[in-house]
This record gives sequence, C-alpha cells and structure tokens, in this order.
Amino acid sequence: MTGKDEAIFRSAEMSLLQFYIPQEISRDAVYTLGELGIVQFRDLNSKVRSFQRSFVNEIRRLDNVQRQHRYFYKLLNKHSIHLFEDPNVMFPEDTDVASHGPHVPISSSVIDDHVQNAALLEDRLIQMESAADQIQLKRADLEEHRAVLQSGDEFFSSEDAAQTSIASLRRESIISEGGHPDEAATRTHVNYVTGVIPRDKVNTLEQILWRTLRGNLYFKHVELRDAIYDAKTKEFVHKEAFIIFSPGDLIIQRIRKIAESLDAHLYDIDNNERVRSRQLQRVNQDLDDLYKVLETTTKTLESELYAIGNELNQWYQDVSREKVTFETLNKFNFDANRKTLIAEGWVPSDEVDCLQGTLTEMTTRLGIDVPSIIQVLETNRTPPTFHRVNKFTQGFQSIVDCYGIAQYREINAGLPTIVTFPFMFAIMFGDMGHGFIMFLAALTLVLNEKTLGRMKRDEIFDMAFTGRYIVLLMGLFSMYTGFLYNDIFSKSMTLFKSGWEWPEHFKKGDTLFAKSVGTYPFGLDWAWHGTENALLFSNSYKMKLSILMGFIHMSYSYMFSLANHLHFHSMIDIIGNFIPGLIFMQGIFGYLSVCIVYKWCKDWVKDGKAAPGLLNMLINMFLSPGTIDDELYPHQAKVQVFLLIAALICIPWLLLVKPLHFKYTHKEGAIALGDGAVAAIDDLEAAQPSADEVAEVYVAGEDDDEEGGAHGEEFSDVMIHQVIHTIEFCLNCVSHTASYLRLWALSLAHAQLSTVLWTMTIQIAFGMQGVVGVLMTFFLFAMWFVLTCCVLVVMEGTSAMLHSLRLHWVESMSKFFVGDGLPYEPFAFAYADMAEATESTTEQ
Amino acid sequence: MSFYTVVGVLIVVAISSYAFWILAPKENRTVWRSTVILALAMMYLMWAITYLCQLHPLVEPRRSDMRPE
Repeated sequence: MTGKDEAIFRSAEMSLLQFYIPQEISRDAVYTLGELGIVQFRDLNSKVRSFQRSFVNEIRRLDNVQRQHRYFYKLLNKHSIHLFEDPNVMFPEDTDVASHGPHVPISSSVIDDHVQNAALLEDRLIQMESAADQIQLKRADLEEHRAVLQSGDEFFSSEDAAQTSIASLRRESIISEGGHPDEAATRTHVNYVTGVIPRDKVNTLEQILWRTLRGNLYFKHVELRDAIYDAKTKEFVHKEAFIIFSPGDLIIQRIRKIAESLDAHLYDIDNNERVRSRQLQRVNQDLDDLYKVLETTTKTLESELYAIGNELNQWYQDVSREKVTFETLNKFNFDANRKTLIAEGWVPSDEVDCLQGTLTEMTTRLGIDVPSIIQVLETNRTPPTFHRVNKFTQGFQSIVDCYGIAQYREINAGLPTIVTFPFMFAIMFGDMGHGFIMFLAALTLVLNEKTLGRMKRDEIFDMAFTGRYIVLLMGLFSMYTGFLYNDIFSKSMTLFKSGWEWPEHFKKGDTLFAKSVGTYPFGLDWAWHGTENALLFSNSYKMKLSILMGFIHMSYSYMFSLANHLHFHSMIDIIGNFIPGLIFMQGIFGYLSVCIVYKWCKDWVKDGKAAPGLLNMLINMFLSPGTIDDELYPHQAKVQVFLLIAALICIPWLLLVKPLHFKYTHKEGAIALGDGAVAAIDDLEAAQPSADEVAEVYVAGEDDDEEGGAHGEEFSDVMIHQVIHTIEFCLNCVSHTASYLRLWALSLAHAQLSTVLWTMTIQIAFGMQGVVGVLMTFFLFAMWFVLTCCVLVVMEGTSAMLHSLRLHWVESMSKFFVGDGLPYEPFAFAYADMAEATESTTEQ
Repeated sequence: MSFYTVVGVLIVVAISSYAFWILAPKENRTVWRSTVILALAMMYLMWAITYLCQLHPLVEPRRSDMRPE
C-alpha cells in the first residue's frame, strides 16, 4: 500500500486518462488492463447502436459459444456430473500472484479452438442425446406393452364378470324399452381395448366413457409399479394399464379414439393366455437387447460428459474474458488512418504510474516497438467515487453505499460508521450475555473466513458473512454497554461496592429506603436491581442518555459538513448554512444537553432546593420566555432569552444569505453588489447577532423579493432550494433529537423482555426440589436458552440493527452527506459463475 | 469522587487518544485512528453519563420485600 492514498476518509483522486493503443496490440492491452482492474472506461460510442459497433461479430460468435457451454452445463446437471471448479481460478486474490507470474493473455488461437471445440461437441452431444432419447422412447413403448401383457391375466379373469355385467345392462335396457329379453341378443360378442394411460387421467377416461357409452362398458385398471418415460414431457410419469370391455365394433372404435385423445397408448393383446405368454417372451427379449444398447449409449455419453466437466469451467472462463474484452474494445474509438484505438478512462491518480509501468512491460514482452501512449486529460466531468476498502471496512462501507454513493471527494460517511453504527446498536441491545453470544457467533465467522469465503453461500448466510465484522463490533460494544447497564441475561453483577445502604433494623414487610453513601464507579448500581422504583430511575437515565448521545452524534456529523465546506473552499456554505445551523442547534438542544449535565452535577438534596424539570424548562423557554418557575442557575432567564433570540435570527439568516449571495455574484457580477445585502452579510459574519440585524435582513429580503422575478429561473431555484433546506433543517433539529429517543425505548424493551423471559422460564425451576427439580431445570434451561438466542439475540438484534441503520441514514447522514456521486466500477476480469449464468438465461 | 472524576478520566482518555494518534499502525492508518479514538470517545461518554446520573441521585431505591436476617 506504500505510496497509495488510503482513500477512506475521502474518495481517491481520479484522473481521466486517454489511451492510444496500436491496433495490433489492442487485445493484449485490454487483457492486461483487465487483469490490473483499475480503469473505468468511458463509452466513447454511446451514440452508436450496439449492433453497429466494431466487434459485434466477435461478440456474437462468443455469445454462441457461451450458449453452447451453458447447454453442456445443463447436460452435466441432468446426468448429475460434477463440474470441476478450480479454486485458484475462483479466488485468485487468495492465491499467490507471484507464483503465477504475470498473466499471459489467452492467445486468440486458443479461443478459436474453444469455438470449434464447442461446435463439434455440441453436434456430437445433440446426436447422442437424440439417440438416447429414441432408445428411451422405444424402451418406454416396450415396457408399456409388457405391462399390459403382464396384467392380461388379471384382465381376462374378470372377462366373465364383464360379460354378465354388460349382459345385465343390456337386458335392463331392452326391458325398459318394452321388448322381451332374448338370450341371443344379450350374449353378443364382447370386444375389448387394452392400453396404458397416465395415472391422473384414469378417472377422466372412465367418466367420459361412461357418459358417452351410457354405461355400456366394463372398465378395469391396474397400477404400474415403475414410472415410465414420457416422450412429451421428457419426464418419468406414473401410469396405469387398463382394459375396457364393450360390445360392438363401432363402440370400440369410439373408445379407441377417446382413449388416444387422453394420451393413452393402446396395445392389442390376445385373450388367449398362451398367445399372450409368447408375446410377452418376445417383448422381454426385445427389451433385453434395448437395455444393453441403452447402457452403452449412456456410458459413452457420460464418459464424454465427464471429460467435458473437467474442463468446461476453464473454457467458460476463457470465453467470458474474451467476450468482456471485446465489449470493452467496443467502447473505444477507432482511428482508421493511424491504425490506433483511442480510449478514455478513469484511473486513481496514484496508480497512473503503476498502469504506465504495466503497459510498458507488456509492450516489451510482446516485442513491439510501437508503444501505447497514456495522457492525462483535463476535464470538468465528475469523476467516480472510489473508496479503497478492505475486508474489515467493506461491510460498513456497504451500509453507506446502500443509501447513496458519496460525492466525489466528500467525507466518507463509512468511516465514522465503523464505530457509531455498532455503538448505537449496543445502546439499544445492552446486555453482556446477549452481546457475548453475538460476539461468539461473529468470531466464528471471522476465524473461519478463509474456508467460508470459498464456500457457496445462500442469501441469508451470505449477508451474515459479509457483515461479520459489523456483528463482531456490535457484540463487543453490546458487552460494554451491558456492563454499564449492569445487565447479564437480565441479572446484575455486584462487582464494586454499592453506593446505597439499606437500613439495618426493620420488620418484615416494611417499605425500606436506601441511604446514599457514595457513587457507584462503573455502570449502574446493582442496588437498583429488583427495587420497586428501578424503572423510574432507569427510564430517566436512559432517556437522558439517548438525548445526550443523539445530540453528540448529530453535532459530530454536523462538523463533517464544516470539513466538507472547507475542503471545497465554499465560504458561502459556511456562512450561510453551517454557522446559523450550528447556532440554532446548539442554542436549543446544546443548551438542553448542558442543562442535563449541569443538573446531574449539582447536589439538589444538600442545597435543599427543588430540582427543576428540564422538559418544562425547555417548553417554557419558547412559550413564555423570560419567566422561570424553578431556577436551575442564576441569570437563567437572561441566558434563555438570549439563546432564543439567537436561534430566531438564525432562521432568516439560513433562509436568505445564500440566495442573496448567489444573486449578487452570479447575475450582476462582483461589481454590482447591493449595499443592503452586503451590509447584512458583513454584519452577520460578526459573531453577535442582535435584533437590529434581524430587521436588516428582513429589509434585504423584501428588496430581493421585488427584484426576484426579473432575474430568471436560476435564482428562484436557489431560493426554493434554500427555503426547503431551512424548513427541513429547523424541523429536523427537533424531530431528529426526538428520534434518538428510540435508543431509550428499545433498550428498555430489551431489558424488560429479558427479565420477563428469565422469570417465565428458568426461575420457575429454581423453586422445585428432587427429581422434578432436576428435570425442570434441564428443560426450562433449554427453553430459556433457545428463546434467548432466537428472540432476544436474533429478532431483537435485527430490530435494533434496523433502528441503528435508520439513525445513521436519516439522523446522522442528513447533516453532511450529499451522496450524488457515481460509483467507481473499474474494468476487471471477474469469475463467471456457470450456475448463475445458466439460471439467469433460463429465467429469461 | 465527584465531577472531577469525570474530568480526570476525560484527560486520561484524551491523552491516550493522542498517544494512539501518533502510534497508530502505518497501514490503514486513517481507519485505525478513527475507529480506536471514536470508540474510546463513545465509551467514555457512555460511562460518564452513567456515572454523572448517579452522582447526586434525586430518588433512592425502595423495596418492601426484604427479610430481616
């Protein structure tokens, strides 16, 4: 990392480079750049349609090869043959690059080989597949025939029954028609149809036949044990053999048609048993031959596929790289006269030398005397934002990037997030035990990250794995806050001497009050545990804690906006936005925070004074300025009125200074600066604003409104933007501070929930004795532990995490983060996963 | 034990933060500095708030389920 900017506080500085690459080495050059992975090429042909670009044919050819490879992959899956994936190819960053030496680009002849190879293999495999398919069909046909023959005995044993039932039906119909039953008429010859039909269609067939023939049939079916290959769906389907007896040839013809329309296959069998057994013998013989043929065919196919499976992934990688290379080449301009390709791309400024070196090395290796030239372009285009992350920071960075990509060179919100995100979480999740469980889980992921990183992970596990360092810090800080809350699985620890003393002599049932004898040095005093008014105390503590932490978090974030304005030399943003905002926020909520701390520091009991309520004090500061009910400190009324006026001045200041500045600098130039506004700005720059200046700003504002219409849209844009900003900022100061109260609410809920869980489960077991006690302890402990992990750690943890996420995205980042940057996506060769590619193409 | 404890610890934390600022590892220096110092600051704040709120308590613990020994 020597010589490189760390690029985490602000994004790396980028340069726009122009490359002149001789045509003959263009492919090698792009390969080298792809290996390096630091250039984000601009598309110089964005106006050219994709099929009019230079290398469309090459890409089309490679697309075809990729399609063929995906076809092979599907066949591999179908025959459940494992695809060999070289871990060195999958995770090149894990292996020693030095041992490989510089990557030599795949020569185009290798690619040509791949193309030919794929075409040949495809033909062969398709042939083999279709042959195998034919054999399967034949086999299915024979198997069905055999099945019908085998069930023949059963069918014809019921022939008599069929005869009689049909005969009786006939007789009835004849009688109902008024005729005389005639023995000869009823004993008509009964014909039959036999065949095989999918199981789910048996009932349909029976119903249809019953209706069309008005019951003039006898239907019998037998289930087949093995599923039979179906040519239409290309799947194995469960089928049944059936026989239908019915009188009359005409009817039989109709039955045949109906059955065939329901995908039944009909096989004629003889009703003579001996003929049938001969038929069966012949069919069995045919089947035996067929099995042998099928076996050899599958064996050849599979051995072919094994060979393919070993190399397919490598081929696919080669072809994917080649394709990406050509896609990149398509972004270049082609100078036909000089046989040169011209490319433009963003590169981190501190890596330009490295890039130059690599390209020179490449040209010497290729032995070409025409060098490729790199030239830095001056441009006013917005460069992409590039933060250099490592395995530790990338999780935190992705939290921020989810919300928005930072503006080029603005302060990266991801850096403070490393601490503030887990810490805000921990304030809500404070419990040593739960924090420890979380810490252990994350530690397992961190310690096994090498092995787990190479594993294929499903979506949820992948999320936990990417966030392992976040969870690790969340667990650690939760242990710390749990220690301060003095909570370990809702119990407290008696580490230090308590600051409270209970009276020595009392009767059972007396209401006792403890006496203060000192201050507990670290965390909450354990004397509070289990007392009747513990909640009263912890609520007051946690509420004030959240206000203070929230205020400090917001102020800290707000300071970043100052750092940003200073970095971008935007004086007007400091004067027109930062300073009034700061005074407004500190004047109201800073004052509240100071009062909270001051109230704690003063010994109200000793002084014998009533402690004033801070909430009422803040409300009265606005509703009836100048009147104080209970004095917190001397001269309180004056201070509060002063702060109130200061805050009120800030509103017009925030609203008007920036638009006015814009108006006088952009429209009439620097010469025509209006007197009033300049005076206003100058005065406002002075630290002490007073009531006079408010009036002055108002006057300036009115002047401005009259002229505003004539000045066109741009000024009104700035004005509207500033009005929105002012309203937002002032309201947000209130609502965001209130929003931090979620820290209190969630930590309270968490503590209460863990107390309830403890009393409802494991505490019950402690009262029991004997064997029951042992068993109860065992089972209730299991229940308690499982519920602790599932509900308190996972569910509560997720909810606290989401709240912490919101506090960062909304409350903190709104103070300084612009977030309209472009992501830096350098051209680099990546591992192309075959399974994913195949899935995405089938979905389309 | 009083408000000065909080100030004292603040000085200790500030000094150790400054020491870390200088001694931070060369590699990933910004991340180290920001992370460690910010963590120290937040842990200090949390402790200080907890300590201060118990410094001059306005309510005392109350219970009526104690049994005489």
